[in-house]
Amino acid sequence: MKQARWWLLLAAATLAVPTEAFAQNKKAPAAPAGKPAPAAGAPAAGAAAGGVVDLDAPGPATGAPAGTNGAAAGGAIDLDGPQPNNGAGAGTGGTDTGTGSICDIDPNAPACGKSTDPAKSPALRVLKPDVYAVQQIYALRKNRLELNPYWGFSLNDQFVSHPGPGLAVNYYITNVLAVGVNGNYYGSFNSDSEFNFQNRRATRLAVPLTEYLAGGNLNFTYVPVYGKFSGFSNFIFHFDTYVVGGIGAIWTKPIAVIDPDNRKFEQKMKLDFNAGLGLRVFFNRWFAVNLEIRDYIYNEQLEATTISKSSSDPKYASAPERDPSTWYGQNSLTNNVQAQIGVSLFLPPSWEYRLPK
Amino acid sequence: MKRWFKALSAGLLALAAVASAPKSAQAQEIQLTGPLAGAPAVRKLRLYREGRFEIAPTVSFTLLDEYRRTIFAGARLNYNLTEWAAIGVYGAYGAASLATDLTTQVDAKSPRYLGPGSPSDPKADPPAGSTAIRNPNVAKSFDEQTARLQWIAAPQLTLVPFRGKLALFEKAFVDTDAYIHLGVAAVGVKDRKDCGAAGQSKCSADYETASRVAVAPTFGLGLTFYPSDLVSFGFEYRALPFSWNRAGFDTRGSGTDGKFPDGKINSDDRTFKFNQMVSIFVGFSLGDRKTSE
Repeated sequence: MKQARWWLLLAAATLAVPTEAFAQNKKAPAAPAGKPAPAAGAPAAGAAAGGVVDLDAPGPATGAPAGTNGAAAGGAIDLDGPQPNNGAGAGTGGTDTGTGSICDIDPNAPACGKSTDPAKSPALRVLKPDVYAVQQIYALRKNRLELNPYWGFSLNDQFVSHPGPGLAVNYYITNVLAVGVNGNYYGSFNSDSEFNFQNRRATRLAVPLTEYLAGGNLNFTYVPVYGKFSGFSNFIFHFDTYVVGGIGAIWTKPIAVIDPDNRKFEQKMKLDFNAGLGLRVFFNRWFAVNLEIRDYIYNEQLEATTISKSSSDPKYASAPERDPSTWYGQNSLTNNVQAQIGVSLFLPPSWEYRLPK
Repeated sequence: MKRWFKALSAGLLALAAVASAPKSAQAQEIQLTGPLAGAPAVRKLRLYREGRFEIAPTVSFTLLDEYRRTIFAGARLNYNLTEWAAIGVYGAYGAASLATDLTTQVDAKSPRYLGPGSPSDPKADPPAGSTAIRNPNVAKSFDEQTARLQWIAAPQLTLVPFRGKLALFEKAFVDTDAYIHLGVAAVGVKDRKDCGAAGQSKCSADYETASRVAVAPTFGLGLTFYPSDLVSFGFEYRALPFSWNRAGFDTRGSGTDGKFPDGKINSDDRTFKFNQMVSIFVGFSLGDRKTSE
């Protein structure tokens, strides 16, 4: 118990040790005032025994031996200094033991006396300073859950618009592939357009209309495109583009146009397939906005454009127009193309990279 | 002495704990201080635009058309004043005008004569002596009555706020910029000729169309990809909102609010349409490409 203070002091000293290793030795103190600076060509103070690597220091006078230019054991290496003249071999400084020489780094360096093709020297190769790769993906998706609430609106139905909210939930199996579900609700948002009215009045034609109730789909998402933009050369944001496709069901019914007095349609479930393309812009690592164009393809049973004069069901013999089996007309492969604008929330919101860069 | 030593030890411990805290932020967090403070977001940026002249042949397709869709062949000429601003002109000619399914259906099914005595065949003439009247809204060939976009000429300003790169399949990388464009467009439109007014022919006898020029704002956005210094490619979205009589119907002009047919075809019958189109292009840039600092 009496020694507790010493243990505390030792623990404090241990923690006070720098937590990062240093690749370079401590810089030698500047020469005291009054002392002359080392002569050109002489090893710099401290360079001979673990001195400083000073890449910006001025080089010695022309003709100085390479070994005195900091190439001595543990000495300073001045990469910017002028190269020695021919004949001034490496290690002529007398203190060169061979270790730490520039020749260890680049055996083909001119200073090493090897007669190699200068054009093949790595130091003389023309570098391509441009960087192409996305070095570290900003927003990883693998093993993350994406919650995507959105608002959808139909693009290609000029007669009835089908806006409504939706929700997609996707789980990313890999960084580029996800499996998920989404659901759309149209309910009371269907609305007949002015265009439908004008077209019907002018042409004396009634176009069969359809309203949607809801839809649900199982989807696969693939992310082939990933990138980043600088905005106004001031900030950087990341985005990706994805394709999505799946299978599901949609509940629809015709809007009675031809004989609204007698026809009352019920919602029916239909099989649908969907395919889409989306753009997602990340605001941070877990929040993004996205815009998606999705085509829900299904087989619609349209309202019959004529009113039946007969019914096979005796129950409707006196009023065949009330026989529900006569209300439906042709089937039509329907493309419900809709734009979906929403936000994406990725969970968990953070992660650790496997590699620092 | 004992208390003093304990206090000193505790202080040293606290100091060491603070010193051992991580000294750097996590990877890729934006450094607000330090040597990168104030540095540009991007260095050594390949400047594909600045000081260069660009010519880009385009093919454009109208979107969400009611009666006709148009395919334009055209070109865009731009001079890039800076890397983020360009002035230029977009011009296109309507190379193809295709009837939509709605037009085909109306043409096949809409009755040309109305009232008692009208024939059951929608395109047939009524028998002699019939009191059926001619529908002024649907010509014998409805296809020829519908309006067409003939050409577009749009001086415009292009702004390039976003510049970056994208990876395709994590293998191929391409420099990309995103731009917006805005300007004023002159649009050659051929829609139904005025009729029904004094001195004009009756609308039930004249379904001709006539050319005119509509002036409209134009704006949109696009993406350009730069696989090389010389050649680029991309696509853009363009909006051209203006009013025109796309079907050639008499829909407005009478009633207290003017929303009922008045037996005349004129500018009242033009309805607003948010015309949209998408273009794909291949661009050729003239002049040397620069690199930023």
